[in-house]
Amino acid sequence: MMFLIHLERGITRFSNFLGVICTLMFIALLFNVFYDVLMRYAFNNVSIAMQELEWHLYSAIFLLGIPYGIQHGGHVRVDLIYENLSIRGKAWTDLFGCIVFLIPFTLLVGYYGVGFAYESYALGETSGDPGGLAHRWIIKGVIPLAFFCMTISGIGMILRCINALRGVSEEGFSHPPIQH
Amino acid sequence: MIGIIMFFVALFLLLLGFPVAFTFGGVALIFGVLAEGFDMFAFMPFRIQSYMENTVLMAVPLFVFMGIVLQKTRLAEQLLEAMGKLFGSVRGGLAISTVLVGALLAASTGVVGASVVAMGLISLPVMLKYNYSKSLACGTICASGTLGQIIPPSIILIILGDVLGIPVGDLFQAAFFPGIILIGCYIVYILILTFLKPEMAPAMPQELDNETRTQQIIAALKAIIPPLALVLVVLGSIFTGIATPTESSALGGIGAIVLALIYRQFSWKMLYDSGLEAVKVTAMVFAILLGATAFSMVFSYTGGDEIVEEVLLNLPGEKWGFIILAMIAILVLGFFIDFVEIAFIIVPILAPVAELLGINMVWFAILIAMNLQTSFLTPPFGFSLFYLKGVAPSSVRTTDIYKGVTPFILIQVLVLASIMIFPAFYGMG
Amino acid sequence: AEKVYKLTMAETWSSNFPIFGDAPRNMARIAEEMSAGRLKINIDSANKHKAPLGIFDLVRSGQYDMGHSASYYWKGKVPNTLYFTTMPFGMITPEQYGWFYHGGGMELMQKVYEPFGLMSFPGGNTGNQMGGWFKKEINTLDDLKGLKMRIPGFAGEVLAKLGANPTNIASGELYTALERNTIDALEWVGPSLDLRMGFHKIAPYYYTGWHEPATELQFLVNKRAWDKLPADLQQILSTSMKLASYDMYIQSYHESAENWATMQQEYPDIKVKTFPQDILVAMKNANQELLDESAAKDPLAKEILDSQAAYMKKARVWTNISDRAYLDSVDSLAE
Ligand code: NA
Ligand code: NA
Repeated sequence: MMFLIHLERGITRFSNFLGVICTLMFIALLFNVFYDVLMRYAFNNVSIAMQELEWHLYSAIFLLGIPYGIQHGGHVRVDLIYENLSIRGKAWTDLFGCIVFLIPFTLLVGYYGVGFAYESYALGETSGDPGGLAHRWIIKGVIPLAFFCMTISGIGMILRCINALRGVSEEGFSHPPIQH
Repeated sequence: MIGIIMFFVALFLLLLGFPVAFTFGGVALIFGVLAEGFDMFAFMPFRIQSYMENTVLMAVPLFVFMGIVLQKTRLAEQLLEAMGKLFGSVRGGLAISTVLVGALLAASTGVVGASVVAMGLISLPVMLKYNYSKSLACGTICASGTLGQIIPPSIILIILGDVLGIPVGDLFQAAFFPGIILIGCYIVYILILTFLKPEMAPAMPQELDNETRTQQIIAALKAIIPPLALVLVVLGSIFTGIATPTESSALGGIGAIVLALIYRQFSWKMLYDSGLEAVKVTAMVFAILLGATAFSMVFSYTGGDEIVEEVLLNLPGEKWGFIILAMIAILVLGFFIDFVEIAFIIVPILAPVAELLGINMVWFAILIAMNLQTSFLTPPFGFSLFYLKGVAPSSVRTTDIYKGVTPFILIQVLVLASIMIFPAFYGMG
Repeated sequence: AEKVYKLTMAETWSSNFPIFGDAPRNMARIAEEMSAGRLKINIDSANKHKAPLGIFDLVRSGQYDMGHSASYYWKGKVPNTLYFTTMPFGMITPEQYGWFYHGGGMELMQKVYEPFGLMSFPGGNTGNQMGGWFKKEINTLDDLKGLKMRIPGFAGEVLAKLGANPTNIASGELYTALERNTIDALEWVGPSLDLRMGFHKIAPYYYTGWHEPATELQFLVNKRAWDKLPADLQQILSTSMKLASYDMYIQSYHESAENWATMQQEYPDIKVKTFPQDILVAMKNANQELLDESAAKDPLAKEILDSQAAYMKKARVWTNISDRAYLDSVDSLAE
């Protein structure tokens, strides 16, 4: 069953890649806002496109950050019971949660997100404000993209549970990859 | 009825321990699809877009980043330690410092998620390091993080101003004094608690090696000045109009990087790591918001709104009975409905009655805001609790947080009651 | 019993937004009463659907049967929708209603919306909107250069041409932004809705309007939902929409008069200003250039703009010898 382990690692690498993208976008956001404040205050110069870029970046960060967080155990649990469970117990809980909650939810929202972004593409939607950004479909398209990435991260979580339940690997339960 | 059943099912399923965000989403999906079919979820992209375009929430990643940089460079730790030392042998100094720093942060953002998470990053590790009781540490952080609701600028006051048709400036002004009183009560509570139970908050160890009190104060000031300067940059940029409150959070982030440079703690790796952590924490906060928006969508589209409306329309038509029951209703609803929903759905139902009864609307708005602040703290759905859990080390248990916030909830209720009974004292007679 | 038709409607406004939100509720009430309960319209506000600027999509896809919004919000999706709300230096409300109902405006609006399976109807008018609140006086074109103003949409483009900086500020932060000079000016509506925003407390100059002389809201109807209604209910619905629109115009007029009196009472120092002639000329020229560009790009845009210009030319002559002449002559008596 090395295949499942490889697949799980492949999905982890994919999520890490999302983490890199989001981090770079975050640093861009930081300087984007700083630049806008500086230009407005010091040079009386406002660019609506740069102002819109702020929310484009910020929303892409949180949307694509969610699948990264799934892979790295970053999402909050009410762990009154969970923290006392054995690894097998945790794996069963996560397996149940992924199959019943996470995967159907992300797939369904992703599905409707495709239509949402496609509408925008078909209309050639742009910003309604002077000098705003064109191609609104790109940022709208991040919604389905992010939700399908969440599905993929959810599959990674399922594999992790299966590997743990079969006794192949307890990666991801004994040592959550990132800690604060 | 579906909404109410869904609420209790979610409550039960949350206890399983699967991530909160997707438990909300999944439960919403099951109930939504059973009641109305799949197509209801075609609304989800629109709801998500409303968060995407809500630039006020941009303060979350930016303040989180500032908090992480201050934590990584140990500047926050030095600040809190120095402030704690200034309290000398008085116990609870770190907790009081946390309340004060939380109040400053509250004055620069109205987004609770941003300040709870930033405070959790900045001061939780320090309090734990000095053997504070976990529950006191968590309670203090959650409570001071929610101060952002009442201390201007505040999102809830802006929304209430809009809903009740009161100028926002008037509300900001009226909220200021109750906010100060609340801060004072937190501090008094910490002093009394640590006096009665010294083991919960040990005094900072005093270096005995010939350091005079004066030297100590000078050392403390040295440690306080840089992060304080940062806070002043953030607040100052708002007050001078250089930046909007949201933008000021980016100035805070850039300022933290500058401090790191000055203290020779900067590296590209540090910048990258801080960014990555900010992304992860931000994703945690927004995942909860997205799960909750699916939940409230199903709640309202399956007739939950109407049930709530019916209950509220049957409140008594006499001033004190109305006020007290309205406050209890908001408090209870705050357990499971988002404060924005309450402001938009419930307040408009109450407002005309309040007006009819000749109630001072500014006063009424402040009561509601104080009340909604409490809804962030109430287990099991209080968002502050989730946010803090998301950044706390794994040694901090959910029960520590629940236990810790309980006394602060009581304090808030007491302050709320005092505003109800003595409006004149708060300048709203 | 007779069949009851139920329609759902999404509005751009939040649940108790005055005047704008009253119009669709008034419409629904009239429709239900006229149809003796056979036509019921259920309104969801933005707090419920969370898509204030998604009404176009929601009605188009059939998620809602109807919407209440404003046509110029869809400019980014369908550029020609811009022309059916109000235009800078355009018609005033009675003139514009004349154009809609008797001057070919409705037909042109249908031409724009038809390809999307939508029908659009006038949805209530705010009357002439004010030019906005300014922290400093605008005396020369130089004063406009670098002026940071919250003024969205097409009017923002006009000002941008003159060197001003249209700025995006979240509406929740507008008051603070103006108070602390993050921006120098903003436009909202007029006294009817400006009073509760409190801008009069923080900005001394209230400029008279030029950019939204007759802001018309909009009822959107999904064509499939419309076709399902029997002919008599279609007639009842369109009559209700027309009546509710007229009612809103009156209500806006009334509330503006009332609230302006309140503002002046509380703050007698508000200085009402009109932009100097040369600035207005420059604005008008910039406006015309932008319109010419749009007309050159799209034949339908040209058709709409030509129709509006021709109608206004005719109607304004009448306005001048009727209302304007009357007001001028009565005012001269007062002196
Ligand atoms: Na605040
Ligand atoms: Na306007």
